[in-house]
Amino acid sequence: MTTETDNKHLDTILKVGGDPADLPFWNACEDELFLIHQCQRCKRGYWPASRCVDHGNEAMEWVAASGKATLHTYTIIHRTHLASMKDKVPFVVGVVELDEGPFFHTNIVDCSHSMLELGMPLQVKMARHENGLMLPMFMPAN
Amino acid sequence: MTAQGLNLGLEARELRSQAVDLALADAGLERDAIDGYIRCFVDREDLRYMGLSPNFSVSMMTGGATPVFSLLTAIGMIQSGQAEMVACVYGEAHSARAARGVQPIGAYGYGYPMLYGLMGAAATHAFHARRHMHLYGTTSRHLGAVAVTQRDYAVKRPGTLGYGKPITLDEHQASPMIADPFRRLDCTRDTDGGVAVLVTSAERARQLHAKPIYLLGGGTGHNIANWHKGVPFDNHDNIEPAKRRAFAQAGMTIADIDMAQLYDPFTISPLMQLEAYGVIAAGQGGAFYADGGAGPEGKMPTNTGGGQLSAYYTTGFTGIIEAIIQLRGDAGEGQLKKAGTALVSGHGMNAGVQNTWAHASLILGSEQ
Ligand SMILES: [Zn+2]
Repeated sequence: MTTETDNKHLDTILKVGGDPADLPFWNACEDELFLIHQCQRCKRGYWPASRCVDHGNEAMEWVAASGKATLHTYTIIHRTHLASMKDKVPFVVGVVELDEGPFFHTNIVDCSHSMLELGMPLQVKMARHENGLMLPMFMPAN
Repeated sequence: MTAQGLNLGLEARELRSQAVDLALADAGLERDAIDGYIRCFVDREDLRYMGLSPNFSVSMMTGGATPVFSLLTAIGMIQSGQAEMVACVYGEAHSARAARGVQPIGAYGYGYPMLYGLMGAAATHAFHARRHMHLYGTTSRHLGAVAVTQRDYAVKRPGTLGYGKPITLDEHQASPMIADPFRRLDCTRDTDGGVAVLVTSAERARQLHAKPIYLLGGGTGHNIANWHKGVPFDNHDNIEPAKRRAFAQAGMTIADIDMAQLYDPFTISPLMQLEAYGVIAAGQGGAFYADGGAGPEGKMPTNTGGGQLSAYYTTGFTGIIEAIIQLRGDAGEGQLKKAGTALVSGHGMNAGVQNTWAHASLILGSEQ
């Protein structure tokens, strides 16, 4: 991973009000790796980067996750002020519950809107965003 | 309170100044009586422009819960001897800002989810609505019943956006989808307006011109607790600790409350709060609205001036003002028959991935 890529990702993250502490996550997406931040003492998983509610920062590490999740909730966006998304409406923004515990906000793709159902199993699908970032999206599992 | 509405043609500071003038006139006080000032959101030039000289001025920001927080903070400042008369002040001129082309879009992002097109409070509150539909079978028509109930109140209330403009459930169902399951008529819109509420001791209040309204209890709860427990989307704020403290201070239960004025950015909000406050059981909110439970003759008249959905959007002062109007008996055609106590809530602040931030409860009464 080059410093140049790091800086480019950092800019992109900051532009949307994201957290620089999550940079290792976004960098790993380039290698199609889906990470979570995990406390190595109690194995509780976190996203975005956090201190463990029980053990603080002493044993937090980025580790590979399964990329499996279930659909916790979602909305279908029909109107948007985001210029980059206007030609994509209607699109689905969901919150998925990763098998390791934490929530992840994402797009649900490769699924007709009428088939969306809370609790449905999903799996990660990496897709290149036009801003250059590799973004983990989720699609129905198999 | 100043006029409220669209395109008032006044700057925000002017609205705040007028609101303070109106509050002083209402109380029968001179300008120098104000010795504490809480500006809901941010101020810099207010005091000089208004000719005020309090002991302190605080800018406060905890989203739509700010107005209730400002009243709770004012109590603390009075009880700690810092002031006798605290002005809690709001004034925004969204249309003036829009006319100048200032669109603070960044404020509507929730951090990294913007990469996926998540922006604006409609989308994040839609997460709550979707969960509620999944867990309890709530429908879009139930949400429509909230919109119609509140509009029916506003239709009879001069000075509101909905005055004389009824809507039907069919019109709600026909309004365009914004962030599914929210349609246009599930959403509020920004309005211009100013509000000033003066907080003082009960003894001092009784000497003043206006009929005093008593602060009987207050409570706060933070949604971060729900995030840590993995239930931020199943709950509309962390109401439990706020409710517990407010009712304990007031020495009341929900059965003692005559009306609810609940923060309502979207239709799902008052529906879920009525459940969380124990007016009805979890999951009953949709049927409760459909059966008129929140209407003027219902079990708990709610957002009785039209709320933010149909009256005006003062980012959390709407409920406080409506409670004061009802408790003073000033609601005209919309006056409730029984109006001795009111539950008021504040909710809000964009909290990134955890959705929302603060909740604050207030119990107000016409008697101490
Ligand atoms: Zn731990």
